[in-house]
Amino acid sequence: MPRPGSSERGGAVCPQRSGSKQPTTPADNYYLARRRTLQVVVSSLLTEAGFESAEKAAVETLTEMLQSYISEIGRSAKSYCEHTARTQPTLSDIVVTLVEMGFNVETLPAYAKRSQRMVITAPPVTNQPVTPKALTAGQNKPHPSHIPGHFPEFPDPHTYIKTPTYREPVSDYQVLREKAASQRRDVERALTRFMAKTGETQSLFKDDVSTFPLIAARPFTVPYLTALLPSELEMQQMEETDSSEQDDQTDTENLPLHMSTDDSGPEKENASVLQQNTSLSGSRNGEENVIDNPYLRPVKKPKIRRKK
Amino acid sequence: MNRKKGDKGFESPRPYKLTHQVVCINNINFQRKSVVGYVELTIFPTVANLNRIKLNSKQCRIYRVRVNDLEAAFIYNDPTLEVCHHESKQRNLNYFSNAYAAAVSAVDPDAGNGELCIKVPSELWKHVDELKVLKVHINFSLDQPKGGLHFVVPNMEGSMAERGAHVFSCGYQNSTRFWFPCVDSYSELCTWKLEYTVDAAMVAVSNGDLVETVYTHDMRKKTFHYMLTIPTAASNISLAIGPFEILVDPYMHEVTHFCLPQLLPLLKHTTSYLHEVFEFYEEILTCRYPYSCFKTVFIDEAYVEVAAYASMSIFSTNLLHSAMIIDETPLTRRCLAQALAQQFFGCFISRMSWSDEWVLKGISGYIYGLWMKKTFGVNEYRHWIKQELDQIVAYELKTGGVLLHPIFGGGKEKDNPASHLHFSIKHPHTLSWEYYTMFQCKAHLVMRLIENRISMEFMLQVFNKLLSLASTASSQKFQSHMWSQMLVSTSGFLKSISNVSGKDIQPLIKQWVDQSGVVKFYGSFAFNRKRNVLELEIKQDYTSPGTQKYVGPLKVTVQELDGSFNHTLQIEENSLKHDIPCHSKSRRNKKKKIPLMNGEEVDMDLSAMDADSPLLWIRIDPDMSVLRKVEFEQSDFMWQYQLRYERDVVAQEEAILALEKFPTPASRLALTDILEQEQCFYRVRMLACFCLAKIANSMVSTWTGPPAMKSLFTRMFCCKSCPNIVKTNNFMNFQSYFLQKTMPVAMALLRDVHNLCPKEVLMFILDLIKYNDNRKNKFSDNYYRAELIDALANSVTPAVSVNNEVRTLDNLNPDVRLILEEITRFLNMEKLLPSYRHTITVSCLKAIRVLQKNGHVPSDPALFKSYAEYGHFVDVRIAALEAVVDYTKVDRSYEELQWLLTMVQNDPVPYIRHKILDMLTKNPPFTKNMESPLCNEALVDQLWKLMNSGTSHDWRLRCGAVDLYFTLFGLSRPSCLPLPELGLVLNLKEKKAVLNPTIIPESVGNTQEPVNSTNNHGQSVGFQNTFSNSQEEEEIDMDTVHDSQAFIYHHLNMLERPSTPGKEQSSGEINMHPVSTAPLSVFSKESNSSKHSDHHHHHHHEHKKKKKKHKHKHKHKHKHDSKEKEKDPFAFSNSPASARSIRSPSLSD
Repeated sequence: MPRPGSSERGGAVCPQRSGSKQPTTPADNYYLARRRTLQVVVSSLLTEAGFESAEKAAVETLTEMLQSYISEIGRSAKSYCEHTARTQPTLSDIVVTLVEMGFNVETLPAYAKRSQRMVITAPPVTNQPVTPKALTAGQNKPHPSHIPGHFPEFPDPHTYIKTPTYREPVSDYQVLREKAASQRRDVERALTRFMAKTGETQSLFKDDVSTFPLIAARPFTVPYLTALLPSELEMQQMEETDSSEQDDQTDTENLPLHMSTDDSGPEKENASVLQQNTSLSGSRNGEENVIDNPYLRPVKKPKIRRKK
Repeated sequence: MNRKKGDKGFESPRPYKLTHQVVCINNINFQRKSVVGYVELTIFPTVANLNRIKLNSKQCRIYRVRVNDLEAAFIYNDPTLEVCHHESKQRNLNYFSNAYAAAVSAVDPDAGNGELCIKVPSELWKHVDELKVLKVHINFSLDQPKGGLHFVVPNMEGSMAERGAHVFSCGYQNSTRFWFPCVDSYSELCTWKLEYTVDAAMVAVSNGDLVETVYTHDMRKKTFHYMLTIPTAASNISLAIGPFEILVDPYMHEVTHFCLPQLLPLLKHTTSYLHEVFEFYEEILTCRYPYSCFKTVFIDEAYVEVAAYASMSIFSTNLLHSAMIIDETPLTRRCLAQALAQQFFGCFISRMSWSDEWVLKGISGYIYGLWMKKTFGVNEYRHWIKQELDQIVAYELKTGGVLLHPIFGGGKEKDNPASHLHFSIKHPHTLSWEYYTMFQCKAHLVMRLIENRISMEFMLQVFNKLLSLASTASSQKFQSHMWSQMLVSTSGFLKSISNVSGKDIQPLIKQWVDQSGVVKFYGSFAFNRKRNVLELEIKQDYTSPGTQKYVGPLKVTVQELDGSFNHTLQIEENSLKHDIPCHSKSRRNKKKKIPLMNGEEVDMDLSAMDADSPLLWIRIDPDMSVLRKVEFEQSDFMWQYQLRYERDVVAQEEAILALEKFPTPASRLALTDILEQEQCFYRVRMLACFCLAKIANSMVSTWTGPPAMKSLFTRMFCCKSCPNIVKTNNFMNFQSYFLQKTMPVAMALLRDVHNLCPKEVLMFILDLIKYNDNRKNKFSDNYYRAELIDALANSVTPAVSVNNEVRTLDNLNPDVRLILEEITRFLNMEKLLPSYRHTITVSCLKAIRVLQKNGHVPSDPALFKSYAEYGHFVDVRIAALEAVVDYTKVDRSYEELQWLLTMVQNDPVPYIRHKILDMLTKNPPFTKNMESPLCNEALVDQLWKLMNSGTSHDWRLRCGAVDLYFTLFGLSRPSCLPLPELGLVLNLKEKKAVLNPTIIPESVGNTQEPVNSTNNHGQSVGFQNTFSNSQEEEEIDMDTVHDSQAFIYHHLNMLERPSTPGKEQSSGEINMHPVSTAPLSVFSKESNSSKHSDHHHHHHHEHKKKKKKHKHKHKHKHKHDSKEKEKDPFAFSNSPASARSIRSPSLSD
């Protein structure tokens, strides 16, 4: 019987088919057990449909078909769920899958409640893995109602339960500064050492090139550009400080970005003055279009005249 | 002629008047660095028999000259290319300087001379006799110019415009002759038409109004047409061509700014202030800006930071900055203001002669000072004046004086007003650069003295008068004789002053302008309690070099308990003591506020002062109205009062310097209080930091509490909750920013009892670096970080070395290890995130050199040499070169010295070449009285060659080479030269008596020629036998006499002998280069093919025939010439070396 719970399992099993043929491992045992269960299901459905006997090959074929069908539901439902950036398929994923596969979902409840249905007994469990007592911790969660009792138990709670920890963020100014400083220093050190390792270096000591590696000086083709233009970092910084007024000291929630000094009063004033200035000059730039300056005039076409 | 004082006005030294000049540059090739063009000068003869026209031209290849469309013969002779003839063995600087001055005179346009002598075709003589107009048309080209025009062509992919290639004119004083033939004098004014045809992606910026821009027929180039209708000297003509970004000034639409690609945002910010400077000058001068437009161009590899030309200024691109940069902003604004001041005085108003230069420099410097006062405040202004005064005083005392207005009589050596100098001050081109800088400094200080005398109001009236006269004259388009009103002369200026103010300033002028030297006062005092009189003793030192005696009024300010009182003492010949009555009785008990000079009344703690005396402090010449140095003695508490309560920043600075000698707790307290006082001028506080460090070091055994300034810094800049961590940077308050930068640097100078930097201080500085956080700052912290590195460098003390062991990592001092760690990280981070102007790299390089010098790190110039290479930012290169220069000195490395000298000759950037010589002069590897393995004959020859012929393309560089030679070897023959030649030196001294008469005009014409030719041979003989007998030395000596005499002769010959056609016919024919029609047709065909070397060869084939004997004179050539020589063994460059020899045979005829 196609059930949401089992469909996923079917999908999960598929890759294991290529496993070893010797039914020794628990996985193999599960595989065989499922196969047997499916055979029982096929047989009971056949009985339901009025067959009294069937050839082994026919049952085998039908089992194969059923397994494929369930696997396909599982695979397809998984894809749908991942498509919407989830990891757990929901009911609607299954429904869409079934619809896509040409199955009339609305008939399903009626079919499930049909009077002549047969209930299959739990398959015999083989090789129940025994958990050593010492490792059990806490109470295993009971199965929810939609999972048949013969399904394996939930694992120990500590393997999946998460305890969200809400530590107080560090707000001590000194620690923050300390951290920011050492972080930056480490990054800079690592970065420059990496650059030095990967490129040419110069050294202050003839016998040692690794302790104080200096990245080799390389001449520029246009040296003034790097020397005069503010770096992108600085530009960005300038925009930031321009737009966002410097925050108050009390706001220490977002640690790395908001470390400000004790006095930010005068800054605010000045920052706003500066903004006014920039807007002023901005509006002037607009006027330039009407300026008559000889360098802005269009270049004339050559006249036909005798050049001296 | 023109140098005579008087009311006669301007008398041109030239026998013609230039009225208009056309400059047309129709091809500029960036790849080959060549220029092709022509000039056309419109000339009116002023004498009837004008048959030769002398013009200035250097480097240019002239391949055709026409006068009124007739082919004209010309010769080209430039004795400055090689000052002393070929391999003369003379090596004493005295001799060189005389010869050099003579050579410069020989081509000086203000003496009517020039390198290019054009013969007026005989067909025109009649025309000339009627004083009718002559049009001189000269076709020229310029190939790889080494001076005058500078090409910057980055070596990368793409078109020239994409690469940011540009070219601009540059030079020291009148250097326009380097890029086109002209009358390169500040006194020959004319109107201009300038045309430049450049690549369509480029812009040509030049003087005057851009009339139109027209595409060429192929549409790939465009021609910029400029008209300059205000009469202007050729020396004020300039040019800049490049793919500039154009910014029209938003406040003044007639002002246009240009910068190199990508820098437009910086340009916008940098020039946003310029309109205020304009407004200021126009207001104080009550005169509109004289030109109809103004252009600023920012270019790379600038010759000087600021160069002012008619209606445009060329700036170094490194002055551009963004809004985040604090330190550069005032510096750049000062440069802009300086350039603009020179537009009025220097460009619009030009000078009559070199000896009037001081007036222009003085006025432009003075009005620039007024701008400073208005913009940065009185404190900054007074600080600047004091700084300039200290500089000029130090320089004059060191070198023996700067003379603003030299008057030269007849050229006799006795009359040389600057015999204490190793160069001639007759010409701008022979001046040491440092001297010229100091000259400008003195000029504006003297203007200020004149202002003190006649009041600022009158001063500005005088300027206004000069400007309006010039302005009226400039509008007289067709009356070129009026144009001389645009020239300023010393006498004219002084007359103006006396007319406007009615005051006689002659004594002042005599003292400071016509005479060199400064005044040195020594002052001390005693208080006579009985008479209640201050007995002031003022002595002068007027015997040391660079000093002069001062007689006249001297202001003394005495701060007493009852107030501040000014006294004017009369300094006379013999009176040393001056009695000054005091106004107040000493008192202790009365608690009363003490009135200060500015009317303020303050409470003072008077417990420190002498109970008997009412004197708080005394100042001599507080207004700096004498160019002087004052050494005044008063007790420490008086200096402390002066520091605390005197409101004049100059007084405060003087007090701080004086307190260095009084390391007491009271001094410490006074300095700390000043440091903390926010109302106090920030420069004073910065100075106090360094003084405090010195005092702390002197008091090291008794010092209590934490290291000096540490708690102060902590209080001012560290977090309240965690005092070991500095606040995140916030540089909104510039005063505290400068203090924050300076304090660590000063603290690092602290030393403990072992003379080491205290560990606590080092850790403190390292923490500042560690916790430095600029993320929330509006401003860049690059200068701050750079100064923290400087602080680290300051903390370094000499390594304790055992048995001179080799410095390795293992025996590295742990503190030094920490410092090195920081420097390494900073220097490496610069590669990834470079700072503005690479200030951090500069500081790191300096710090590494300090570590090397102190023996912590092995001394090695390799690192610096890599940073000194072309392609690094100029500041970085200079810092690296400075380290190499220092290494050369400390390690006495011949190899590095050679490396530096090679760079002086070959580096593409003129400024670097100049700077290397400058640094070598300031930090010489050895001096004349020192034994050094570096001092050998080869070096002497090399330097001699450098100044004799290797630097002829750059006046400044040549003078720099002369300075270096002087520093290394002195004036006389270098002592390291082989002994036999010592006789020659003595010999020369005797011969000087012979040499002198040759300078006198009378003896020139008749006797010298035969000697001339014979000596040429004697010279070569002498050269082959260096260690020869006295007979030959005699000959060599005669030759040297001849050498200089030849120039002088030439100079005088051109001047004195009237060039009447009849008399000179014969020699003239030979001299002149007859331009036959055959080669000319070849020329004109090829004129567009830009293979100018060919034309060139043609000419010299012909020269060659006449100069067989003188072939040896062509040894010194430009590099490109020698290349050509390979192609054609008979090719001669247009080098004056060759041209000179044209003359020689004719003289011997």
